[in-house]
This record gives sequence, structure tokens and C-alpha cells, in this order.
Amino acid sequence: MPQFPHPSEARPSVNQTAPSIAAFGLALDQNLLLDLADMALSSAKSAGATYVDIRIGETRREFIEAREERLETFSERSARGFGLRVLVDGCWGFCGSSALDRASLTRAAAKAIDNANAVKPIQHEPIVLEQLASHEAQWIMPMRIDPFAAAPHEKARRLLEINAAALAAGADFCKSSFSFAKEERLFANSRGSRIFQSRTRVYPQFEATAIDRASGRFATRASLAPARGSGFEHIASCDLAGEAKRAADEARRKLHAKPATPGRKDLVIDPTNLWLTIHESVGHSTELDRALGWEANFAGTSFVKPDMLGKLRFGSELMTIVADRSQAGGLATIGFDDDGAPRQAADFKIVDKGAFCNYQMALGQAHLIGAPRSNGCAYADSPTSFPIQRMPNISLAPNPEPCSLQDLIAGVEDGLYIVGAGSWSIDQQRDNFQFGGQLFFEIKNGRLGEMVRDAAYQGRTAAFWNALDGLGDASTYHLGGAFTCGKGEPMQLAPVSHGAPAARFRGVAALNTERRDV
Amino acid sequence: MATTWRYPSGRNLPGRIVLTKIDALLLTGNTLILSPYHPMRPMFLSPSDVKSITDRLLARSNAESCSIAIEGGEEQSLRFAHNSATTNAATETVRVRITSHIGARTGSVATTSLDDGALEQAMARSEEIARLMPGDPEFMAPLGPQTYAETARYDEAVGGLGLGFLADAAASAIAEGALRQVEMFGYGASGRRSEALATSAGLFAYDRASEVDFAATARNQTDTWSGWAGASEFVAAKLDARRVGRRAADKAARHTVPLDLEPGRYTVVLEPAATAELMRWLMSMMNARTADEGRSFFSRKGGGARLGEALLHPKLTVRSDPRDKIAPEAAFGAEGLPQRAKNWIEKGVVTSLFRSRYWADKTGQQPVPSAKSFTIEGGETSLDEMIGATRRGILVTRLWYTNLVDPRSLLLTGLTRDGNFLIERGRISAPARNLRFNESLATVFSGIVALGPSERTWRHMSRGAAVSAPPMLVEGFNFSSKSSGI
Repeated sequence: MPQFPHPSEARPSVNQTAPSIAAFGLALDQNLLLDLADMALSSAKSAGATYVDIRIGETRREFIEAREERLETFSERSARGFGLRVLVDGCWGFCGSSALDRASLTRAAAKAIDNANAVKPIQHEPIVLEQLASHEAQWIMPMRIDPFAAAPHEKARRLLEINAAALAAGADFCKSSFSFAKEERLFANSRGSRIFQSRTRVYPQFEATAIDRASGRFATRASLAPARGSGFEHIASCDLAGEAKRAADEARRKLHAKPATPGRKDLVIDPTNLWLTIHESVGHSTELDRALGWEANFAGTSFVKPDMLGKLRFGSELMTIVADRSQAGGLATIGFDDDGAPRQAADFKIVDKGAFCNYQMALGQAHLIGAPRSNGCAYADSPTSFPIQRMPNISLAPNPEPCSLQDLIAGVEDGLYIVGAGSWSIDQQRDNFQFGGQLFFEIKNGRLGEMVRDAAYQGRTAAFWNALDGLGDASTYHLGGAFTCGKGEPMQLAPVSHGAPAARFRGVAALNTERRDV
Repeated sequence: MATTWRYPSGRNLPGRIVLTKIDALLLTGNTLILSPYHPMRPMFLSPSDVKSITDRLLARSNAESCSIAIEGGEEQSLRFAHNSATTNAATETVRVRITSHIGARTGSVATTSLDDGALEQAMARSEEIARLMPGDPEFMAPLGPQTYAETARYDEAVGGLGLGFLADAAASAIAEGALRQVEMFGYGASGRRSEALATSAGLFAYDRASEVDFAATARNQTDTWSGWAGASEFVAAKLDARRVGRRAADKAARHTVPLDLEPGRYTVVLEPAATAELMRWLMSMMNARTADEGRSFFSRKGGGARLGEALLHPKLTVRSDPRDKIAPEAAFGAEGLPQRAKNWIEKGVVTSLFRSRYWADKTGQQPVPSAKSFTIEGGETSLDEMIGATRRGILVTRLWYTNLVDPRSLLLTGLTRDGNFLIERGRISAPARNLRFNESLATVFSGIVALGPSERTWRHMSRGAAVSAPPMLVEGFNFSSKSSGI
């Protein structure tokens, strides 16, 4: 298992101090939740369920947004509830509610059983569960400053400071926001697991806009700061006002930058852009539920078919993709997944030196590819949601040999250096993709050149990853991520993290998005 | 990082539920407030249910002004794949949002509890936040009483549906697939939600909507071709799941190898789902403020918005109306503004952009809430006639992963999906592999050749956001690259 650098080591410009491991106590009344869970489990068992599990708890969210010199929104919300899942004769049944009372739980047990019985006529393939060990545990994400305890006016002040910095540096507009979420849940199942967990995440964002009224042109530059599984210290460690100042200048430069030249080019992709490409092209294509067709009606299937397991040459020898639930700052870092599988189950390679070697799996899927057990990749975006297969942290391992960003650029005669995530799109089998970016720079004869505008890159997943011929070392590593990866019906939103070093890809189709024939 | 776990003290006292001491604010303290014995309450709320809550809360508000938004309801869903059930769910949720204003300062807090204690604490917290915030120079006091249109978006029968209704729907679609030797995958959902807003200035708005959705994807036995269809209805009896299954299965039941078309400009016949997807993007960009500020396609060079300009094809009219028969708009929109019948685009001329109350006040115009539901007026050319009139082109069933590339030009990218066919000499000649497009919405909606009858399009549990769209024949649609995705 490659060792991932701590994000702060990889990005010296981000002044992050070493986090303390001070744990915050759980806010939930554990006694009460245990009693409610026990009651629901025994109700469902006595009504005929062969397996029962429940997620019960609370998710707190805070969203603060500032527009130019004004605070536009300060919003808190708390959503609590439970989701009870039963298996009856090979059929799932599920019932969730935001009511946490005995009557609702009793009613939910009956409803979940009813639902399982209702689908029997179309349950032609029974749901089969593997054995999972039971756990009694508590896991609390370490953090230094609980974002929900930080003073509201201090959070507002920081946002207004970001906007002021951007406006002073030449932006015409700047919008900034902080999003915080804290999930506290009890997972309990009929096999004896009782697991309390708490995790917190934060996401600072801003976008500076510059306008040239005479020409009618406008350009934006969004923050490169990632979402992280962290306390408020992540916000405090990002020099967002400093970045806003640079962003304003870069947005204005974009207005007058020369257009990107389309054609096949060598790309050096910054990890602030590459994390999203990893997410879409590798993360989603290696989800077993998609490969099995379970998401065919909406999220889609995958070009990575089950018979390709152990055979597909996904990328070049430099490509090793690792799953984990332990990376510092990872949005999927946690002690147990929402099926109750321990984090160790999620320590696996998806691609090893270019060879596809593992799918991500949730409970009830492993036997379909002859695997003994799932690998800890379940998540429900709310206690009231049915848990489905979702990504752990999925990252491109850095080069163990020394290789800097400059080394990568030095190997390019005619290419582009791409920074920050922009517009994105990928086909429903996760093959044909198109990604934009925040900043594009020419590379000429091994040197970084002028900024160019209106670029994007397009490719096919396996061809792209097989064109990987240069990989930065740990000094270039960055953990990117976002709160809102959508999947499933009804759609669920999952937080996702993807780490990557800078990387070089040969002969990728670069576009100019201003041209009519793009 | 996992630690050995023990039962918390007090856990084993027989029959005892430990009630949490209410000693902290709901959202800043470290206590979850639970009332395990309160009687069950439905979460789909009637006007009188809502009013009793909002009246009580508004009476207790210590803020200078206050608004209470409540939405709640119940929903059930079912998924199936390879002709067999996979996941299902029945859920009920409610959320109360309390927004307090002290001067021009605002704090807003939401909770999923209807308990008095939790609601009072949420209110206290919203007031505390408001006191700590800087004043908002764009603050607008909550609206007073308004008059709202009656909407016809609710069917009482939907509330009585069990999961068996959706299982039957899936079974009928699976049966249609079996007749055509294709496998069926899909999703059905039904539910109802109520939404209300009350303010200290006397506004009370209530609306409700029911919804029944069903969509099916069919895939052939060699997994080399697929077809899709979907339907959304407010009224349960209107859902025809068998027809949805039949349409998806008919599209998928092809056994020839799909053609690999070269990217380039093509005549396209967009089915209503594809037309609706493109228009949703255009509607989302119709913002008066960004246009006035010079950062929108709708900005005029040198300043101002391009309202009144003929930017699109004269065949194009888009409107929203709470009394629309197919896609009725909700009764009220943002800030409690009444939704009125309005044209957004009339014969290609941009006639409305959405405008907040603040921006309307600043610019001396009327506020316009954005549209959740809208209708693209149809034409008289049927889908078959469009195909018949096409010498060489592509029939597009639906679009996937659309995303805006450039807001200046309205350049959108995305892919075709689940039913792409080559049209030659007026007939569908063969399935054609999917393609990525990069095309400006302005170009698409300026290049309309023909429109068909407008119909309600599918969107899963859109919470009342209905779109009525026609099939549309467009010349010169730009496909950028090939996709192998089936």
C-alpha cells in the first residue's frame, strides 16, 4: 500500500499546522438511540426478517455565503431520522423517517416488511448477503475546531475578507461560501454490530469574476481549495484571501489571454484538476453495481465489465489507484461503512501498475463476482436513505521516484498545463469524457509559457490512462474533493475525495471551447 | 482510530429511556433533543396543520420580522435491474425553516422536528445568528399577504399507493421486455409533498403536489443496444407503465451492430425528453441580475439585459402558468411571490428574466420568481413526420451528463443515450452509437425547423417541477466525438 503524504506536506503554500487528535464527543444520546435501534431490530426480526440493519442519527449542515460586500446567507439545518432495512426471503424492504419516536420505528418495521413482501413477485434474483463480522465500536473523526462551534460572525468575517481581497485586486464580482456538515450515526444490525460514528467535513469555495463591458466578455476563476474531512482548521489553514487576490488577477488576465490552439497535445495536469478526472473515469467505472447493470436506468453502467477483472490494461505502468478510508482529510475517511464493514476492508488497489484488479462493492454484491465479501464501499447520504455502493477515498499513488512538476513540464515540447477543475462531463459507461479547467498555460519546448483561455480536453478513459507517461512524486500530491457526487434513484449525494500527484499525458485531444466546431 | 465500545451507563436499566436534558441550543449545543413518546404525526401536512405550527411560532418570535417555511411529505420508490427488484424505500420527512430578521440582519435555521421544544430552540438560534450577523444592504422585509392561483397538481389517490403499485408497474414493463426479448431496468416512485410559507407580515402560502414517476431502460441480450422511456404524472391513474416499458423495449430490440457515425454537424430529431433537458439549462440562465451585471449570455454589450430582443427562433415560445393543463407551475415561488402566467420567450423574443425582489426594487421593475415548471409550446409536426422529412440525421431519445462549458455563448456539452438512431431518406435505418455534443443552446434554439405536440416529460421526483416539451427538429447540431457507451 503506497503511503500518501499528508495534504499539508504536498502543498507548502497552504499553511496547515499539524492537526491535534483531540476528539469531540458525540452529541447524540447514545442510550436512547440504542434502545430505539434494539426495538426496531427485534420488531423486524420477529416479523420474519432474516437480516435487519438500521442507521439512526443526525446530520447537521451549515451554509454561509457572501456576495461582494454583503453576507447573503447564514443557514443552519439539522436533519435527524432513521432508515430500517430488512431482508425477507431474498427481498429488501426499507423504511426511513425523520421522526425519531417509538411509534414511528414500530410502524417502520412493519412497513419495511410489507415492502419486502410487495417486491416478491419481481424478485427473480434473490438478494444474497455474505457474512460480515459484527463490531461494537465508536469512531470519532479527529479535528481541532468544530466548525459548528466556531463563532458565526467570525465565519462571516472570513468570507467578507475573501471577497474584499478579490475586489481590491480587480475582480468585478466575488461570491464565496463555507459549507459544513457533521454526520453522527448509530449503525446497528441483527448480527450484533453496534457502531457509533461522527465525522465532519468542510468546503470553502469562492469565484471571482472579471468583466470587460466594452467587449461584453467576462471570465471567472474559482478557488482551488478542496473540500476536506476536517474541522474548521482546514478553512483557517487555506489562505483564501491570498488566493482570492491571485484569482482576481487571473480572471482579469483570462479576459485578454490568447485562445487555446486545438489539437493533440501533451498535457501536464495539476492534481487540482486531475482529482475530478480520476473521480469520473476511474472511481465510477469501477463500481460493481454499475458494472452489474444495477444503475443502468440512471447513473449508468460501465465499460469495465466483470469479465475484465484481472485482465483489463486500464492504464500505463505508472498508474496505481488505491482505495482507502484512512487518508487524513479524506471525505470518505471513517471507521466503518454504512453496511458496518470496517475501514480495513476498504484498503485495496483498484488498479495496480496499470492492471485493473478490484471493484468497489457494497453488501450483497460480492458473490456475484465470486468474491468472499464486500470491501467497505457503502454509504447512505442520510439515515433515511437506502445505503448503496459509494466511493471510499480513491487516489492515484504518487511516483516513488523523485519527479517534480518542473520535471514533467520539461518533457513537453508543445502542450498545456491545466490547473483547477472546470466544466465536466462523461458518458454513462464512463468512457468518453470532457473536462475543462480554471487555468491553462502553454508549454513550449519544456518551459511554461503564456496563459491561454477557453480550453478543455477530451478523451476515452483507457486510452487516456495508457497515455500517462510522467508522474509527480509526493511533493506534488494534493487531495481534492467535493460534497456532491450524485448517484442512485432517488439520487443520493456523497462526499468524495481523490488524491493525485501532477501527471503528464501524451497526445490528448485539446479543444478550444470558443470555436463553433469544438 | 476505532475504540473499544461499551454500553453507556444507564443503558441496561430495564424499560428506561433516558430523556436528554434540554440544556443547550439545538444547533450549537451538544445535545440531540428527542421526544420518544410523542404521538405519530403525518409529515404531509394540511393547510390547517401548517397554520397551527406557523401561527404558534410567529407568535413566539422575538425578531423584528420572521418567516417560517415548512415542507414535508412521503415518498416510496422501487428499482429493478435485469428484470428483478434491487432496492426500494418508503420515506417520510418534514423540515421547518425559521428565518429571523433583526433590522437588516438575518439568521436561518431548519429542523426536522415538529416538537415544540425543538422548534422553539431553532427559533432562538435563528435570532441569535441574526444578532451576530452584519446588516445586509440588500435586505428586503418579508412579504405581506398575497393572492395565489389554484393549482391542479394533487391527486389524493397517490397518498394511498403502496409499494405493490410500483411492483405491478415494474412487472408490466418487464413483461413488455420479455415479449421483445430484452432485459428491463428501471425505477418507479410515487409520493406527495406539501409546502408552505408564513411571514410575520401576514403572508400565508400553501401548496401541495403529488407525483407518480416511472422510467425504464431496456438492453438487448448481447448488451450492445439500449432504449429508454419515462413518464411523470400528478395523477396516479394517468401513469401507463406498460406503455413506458413498451417504448423502451421497442427501442432496444435491435440486434444489428450499431453504426459508428463520424462526429460533425447533423440534422437531429430530439425527442421531448432531450428538448426538455436543453431548455432546463436555458431557463436556468435567464437571470435578470447577472444579465444586467454583464456576466450572462443575456447581457447587452455596454450594459443592460437583452430583454425584448429576438435571440431565438420565431417558432419558440416558452411559458409558465399555474393553470397550465400539462405542466402547471407551483402557486408560489421564491420569497413567497405569487406565480403568474407569463411568457419567458415569445416567438423567439426574450420577454422575461427572473428577478429577485431586491433587484426589482433597485432597477425599478417588477419581481419575477424563477420557473420550476414550464411549457415549451408545441407545433403540429409529429415525430414521424420529422423523421420522414429528414434526408440524413439522428433521432435522439435522451441526453446525458449535460454541463455548461461557456456561459457567454451558452455552450453546452453532453452525450446522447439509450436510443440513438440514424435516419436516412426519411426512415430510421439503424441504431447509431452515442455521440458527445458541444453546442450552444442559442444555436440549437435558433435552428428549429419543426416542433411537434408538447407533452409532459419524465423527471424523477421533481417535487412538482413539471416540464412540457415537444419533439424538435434542428439543423446543424454539432457532435464532437464518439462514445462507445451503450
